[in-house]
Amino acid sequence: MRYNLQRAAVAAVLALGMCAPAMAQDKSSDAQSAKVPKNVQITLIPGLTTDPFYITMNRGAQLAAKALGITVNFQGAEEFDPVLQTPVLDAVIARHPDAILIAPTDTTQLVDPLKRASDAGIPVVTLDTYIGDGKYQDGSGDGDFPLSYIASDNELGGRVAARAMAKRIGDKGKVYVAHLRPGVSTMDQREKGFKEELKQNHPNIEVLPTQYNDNDASRAASQFQAVLARNPDIKGVFGANLFSAIGAANGVAAANKSDDVTVIGFDAPPSIVNDIKSGKIDATIAQHPAEIGYYGVMTAYAILAGQSVPTKIGTGFTVLDSDNVTDDAVQKFIYSE
Amino acid sequence: MANTNGASVLKPLLNAWSWLFLAIILIFFEIYAQTEVGATFLFRVYSIQAILTAASQILLLALGLTLVVVAGHIDLSIAFSSGFAAVVMALVIRLGGMDSGFLIFLAGLAAGIGAGAIVGLVNGWLIAHINVPSFIGTLGTYGIARGAALIVAGGAVVSIQNDSARVFGNGTVAGVPLPAIIAGVLALFCHYVLTHTKFGVHTYALGASRASVERAGVDVKRHLMILFVLSAVTAAAGGLVYTGRFSAGAANAGEPILLYAVAAVFIGGASLTGGQGTIIGTVIGSLIIAVIQFGLVFSGLPPYWQFIAVGLVIIVAVVVDQSRDRFSGSQT
Repeated sequence: MRYNLQRAAVAAVLALGMCAPAMAQDKSSDAQSAKVPKNVQITLIPGLTTDPFYITMNRGAQLAAKALGITVNFQGAEEFDPVLQTPVLDAVIARHPDAILIAPTDTTQLVDPLKRASDAGIPVVTLDTYIGDGKYQDGSGDGDFPLSYIASDNELGGRVAARAMAKRIGDKGKVYVAHLRPGVSTMDQREKGFKEELKQNHPNIEVLPTQYNDNDASRAASQFQAVLARNPDIKGVFGANLFSAIGAANGVAAANKSDDVTVIGFDAPPSIVNDIKSGKIDATIAQHPAEIGYYGVMTAYAILAGQSVPTKIGTGFTVLDSDNVTDDAVQKFIYSE
Repeated sequence: MANTNGASVLKPLLNAWSWLFLAIILIFFEIYAQTEVGATFLFRVYSIQAILTAASQILLLALGLTLVVVAGHIDLSIAFSSGFAAVVMALVIRLGGMDSGFLIFLAGLAAGIGAGAIVGLVNGWLIAHINVPSFIGTLGTYGIARGAALIVAGGAVVSIQNDSARVFGNGTVAGVPLPAIIAGVLALFCHYVLTHTKFGVHTYALGASRASVERAGVDVKRHLMILFVLSAVTAAAGGLVYTGRFSAGAANAGEPILLYAVAAVFIGGASLTGGQGTIIGTVIGSLIIAVIQFGLVFSGLPPYWQFIAVGLVIIVAVVVDQSRDRFSGSQT
């Protein structure tokens, strides 16, 4: 229903003849009459529309929109795929919003499509994922034109997971990473951070080869059991996304090893939170997608108001475990569905 | 009738081949484990349990598919009949509130099976009555079932807390995992249907020649409807087991398993052109894939090689199977 209202608002603004053009371009605003952009339309294009992570990101974006009295539209494809995202982006560009917030689904394939937005005078800010090298406005590379990149540092997230793991397994023993498939940049970064932190600061923890499950929880479960068959003294698994974590946790439970093996997950959709409450997963590293969405909208608004903005904004992590998962203070970090 | 005789001579041979292949893989991993690791690969309860559970998840998607393939068709929509059923079951259980009881669990099972049956009915109608080729028709319903599953789930994984569901997915009876028992019972049922009923005879005949079956007065449209409903319902059972195992219904529960299910059917001796295939073969095919996956992780092979190895084994199994066909000379 809310969505229809937004659509109606978009239609109304279009009917009025796009009253908020080109403000982003006007950099010579005098401080006397600090610009307050009116009737601002921002479009948020997630990596996919059906993931709690992006739904939560939109929750934060809508909160910022409400605070500013502007409209943020949520438009995207149902899968994380540049071939599906690009047509959505093209359609959005055709409607010429005042700014585009996007979680690009590929670092290179989205460069040219987003350039079209930038060339049309629409400021681009990327959220969660990036194009090019992820370092914008430094004069290097084709993907240099977005004005800001707002995300949590997944490599740091992997390090946070490694520390949480080390603490729970007494700083020694064998662990491995349960991973979706090679080449998914955020997961590769989590794996890298996890392994590097252990190597640098926890030398008594041995990291076994990573297992790829193709997002199949059943395979992740069977892989844990196979690793256990080979390594009866295994101490922990880092399930670097939802299905890797719930699958590995199921394998641990099936082998009756819940007391001996620590399972650390990543992200905080309600299903992982339930598994923490029931003890199947020991802890999870929650990103702050609502924070990403909130600062995304605020950043775009600042650009439209003629302000300069940081080219990189890092958001944080929160470790959720059975000790804190029911606290009021951390409920905001549980993703929306 | 000559055709039926030929198949009945060939069938035991094909089955023997799959058994042999499975045995070779098991012996290979056992020797590897004994010599390189100094441990046993197979003779541990939980290794067997893990392999059986993984194989069950593949087999549940492959069971009804086997009958469909024997009849000369294909069902790609099983990936999402499975996910649709998983999500519907989870939602119904969730309606009963957290820590809901056994009756709600049963209602969830029934609703999940019903959801699968709807996809099967649509498939059957498209293929039997509208004459859409099954590859295209079920590719369409693959998308529809996926969309429906995502819509009813609101795009998310639907987590539940229900002890009956947890036991359904994770319990054991005399050490045998319940998913394996469920898959085993359904496999026996499908095996019985295919080998001991007129329906089974007609299914083989349909794969060989639709025209002759029609001449014999069989209601082919009704037959196809039943086949596709059966396929969707066994796949739905796979989704229900998934929801039980992980206390969560996911729309994509069956997606990564689809290719393995299809591979299991063909490793098991089925032919793309129809008229061939057995449930026993498909059971062996599922076990072969599960053993390879488990064994490769156990052996500590670098993970990228696992993709290649699984692909190679599928190709080798089917190639050897086909050359057997040629060698025995009973196929045209």
